[in-house]
Amino acid sequence: MTAASMPMDKPRRWTMPRFLTSEHPFPWLAPITAMIIAFGMYPLAYAFWLSMFKRNPVTRLNVFNPAWNWTKMFYDERVWGAIGHTYLYTIIALAIELVLGLAIALLLDSDRKGYGFLRAMMTLPLVVPPAVTGMMFLLMLDGSFGVLSQGIYWAGLWSPQHPILASSGSALAGVLLADVWQWTPFMVLIMLAGLRALPKDPFEAAAIDGATPVQAFFRLTLPMLSKIIAIAVLIRGVDLFRIYDYVKVMTDSGPGTATETLTSYAGTIYFKNADFPYASAISLFTLILVIVTANIFMKLFKVKF
Amino acid sequence: MQETFLQKRLRDLAAIGVVGIFMFPLFWWALTSFKPMSAIFDKDRVVFFDFVPTFVNYAVTLFGKNRGELAIDSGNTFATSGAGAYDSRPTLIDSLIVAIGSTAVTVILATLAAYALSRMQFRGRQGYLNWILSQRFMPPIAIIVPVVFMFHYLGLRDTRTGLIIVDTLINLPIAVLLLKSFFDDVPADVDEAAMIDGATRFQIFWRVVMPMVKGGIAATAVLCFVFSWTEFLLSLFLTNSIRTLPVKITTFVTSTGSEWGFISALGTSAIIPSFIFILLVQKQLVRGLTLGSLKE
Repeated sequence: MTAASMPMDKPRRWTMPRFLTSEHPFPWLAPITAMIIAFGMYPLAYAFWLSMFKRNPVTRLNVFNPAWNWTKMFYDERVWGAIGHTYLYTIIALAIELVLGLAIALLLDSDRKGYGFLRAMMTLPLVVPPAVTGMMFLLMLDGSFGVLSQGIYWAGLWSPQHPILASSGSALAGVLLADVWQWTPFMVLIMLAGLRALPKDPFEAAAIDGATPVQAFFRLTLPMLSKIIAIAVLIRGVDLFRIYDYVKVMTDSGPGTATETLTSYAGTIYFKNADFPYASAISLFTLILVIVTANIFMKLFKVKF
Repeated sequence: MQETFLQKRLRDLAAIGVVGIFMFPLFWWALTSFKPMSAIFDKDRVVFFDFVPTFVNYAVTLFGKNRGELAIDSGNTFATSGAGAYDSRPTLIDSLIVAIGSTAVTVILATLAAYALSRMQFRGRQGYLNWILSQRFMPPIAIIVPVVFMFHYLGLRDTRTGLIIVDTLINLPIAVLLLKSFFDDVPADVDEAAMIDGATRFQIFWRVVMPMVKGGIAATAVLCFVFSWTEFLLSLFLTNSIRTLPVKITTFVTSTGSEWGFISALGTSAIIPSFIFILLVQKQLVRGLTLGSLKE
């Protein structure tokens, strides 16, 4: 449909309120802005206000004491452990998902028959609710009747004496496995989008000049994909940092606190201790860490939307 | 860089192998949903195919059959809690209403904003876009306590409307980002031509540009649907009686044991609607997920 075919010379059949016809962006942005302020910014400000109270566990009363939770946090060893787990988890998962995602995207980027079907199947893990994925891997990694753990024992990679999700050394790896299974396809999808949008000419020129596929990948594909890789890492990294579902469902931060991340610790405080002020302080601290880390990343890799 | 015959076959093999590995958990899950309990909990070995298939798990979760009677027939469950606890039909309906509702609201709000961000020049545009995208940085747990208080006060606690609102909030940033890249793909000449013909901004948006990005809007809608359908944390905190699917499934883990049969049956059925939708918009999705990164 082109603009020229539109019957604009006829008299207008309907008129619109004047503010809708103006060039000002206000009417376009007002609804979304109102929504975000009311249900995003206001609760955030409220959470900050809440974090400035000290909760008395005996009387269950909150007393105004702005510095209490924010200083308590720095002496809380579980917070430091959780920060460590969160960064460890985010970095390892990002590295695996990025490399696997790019490799699989290169493998599936073909116009031959059947590859469209394979690409479609590859997106399937994305539509599984993360909580369900967690349960799925919980069943498969079960120490006695889980098919994956049996396979791992059989391959001699791990000893049956230490069930994967119940040992502090391997529990995080078990959670990681679920994450990698679910989100590598997301990376594949983004990388495929990037690969499909690449221009063909440089590759033909390189082929004529006798470049090997490996050279073409490192000299052409990778540099041209760098922007989309940076955006993918940013989006995925932010999500990984806030990981909650898998930990909650699969290990519930355990065994002990071996898989406790910042968000799951905040959830524990909320659920078990009902210490809302402290939970708010920790989750706001998580938000600050996300923003700082993401901004450093965006500056470093010049990400711009 | 022509591939030889051997290279082609090797690549086919590798591709099928990789996709097969990623399909395995789903296959295993679907297989489990047809297993009788004895086959799921065999202590000595992992049961692959040597079991008598049963539909009990689907009958209970999707058709609301009485688990007591069925359990006596087949010996398939722990039969400890009430009869209705595993009937998931209300859950499916709640989940659908919430997912469709929040998708509709998200798409409407995000389309308006994305069009303005793509077409209009105004001060602070980049800053505004960053502000919207930064909402994505927020861990849902950071706002959960205030939202619970707020919803309690507004009477939105444990309602579908409440869930629609929070799911919309979570989906807005990514929807704006995707839709903006679709709008950016439409050349600005189109708008200008229509404007010369005397069309207003809203007419251009509604009658000229919108029809050109239909596919992109569909892809965005599907993604929003999937995210809302799979959302866990906020539904967990905000609801008691209204249950979305992921939360409902986790309630099948009881103190007496996990009802793996029911869990896998409901989990398998939960995947189907989203997967059909995602298949329908596969092409647009692959194009849209460049997220505007290829523009200069």
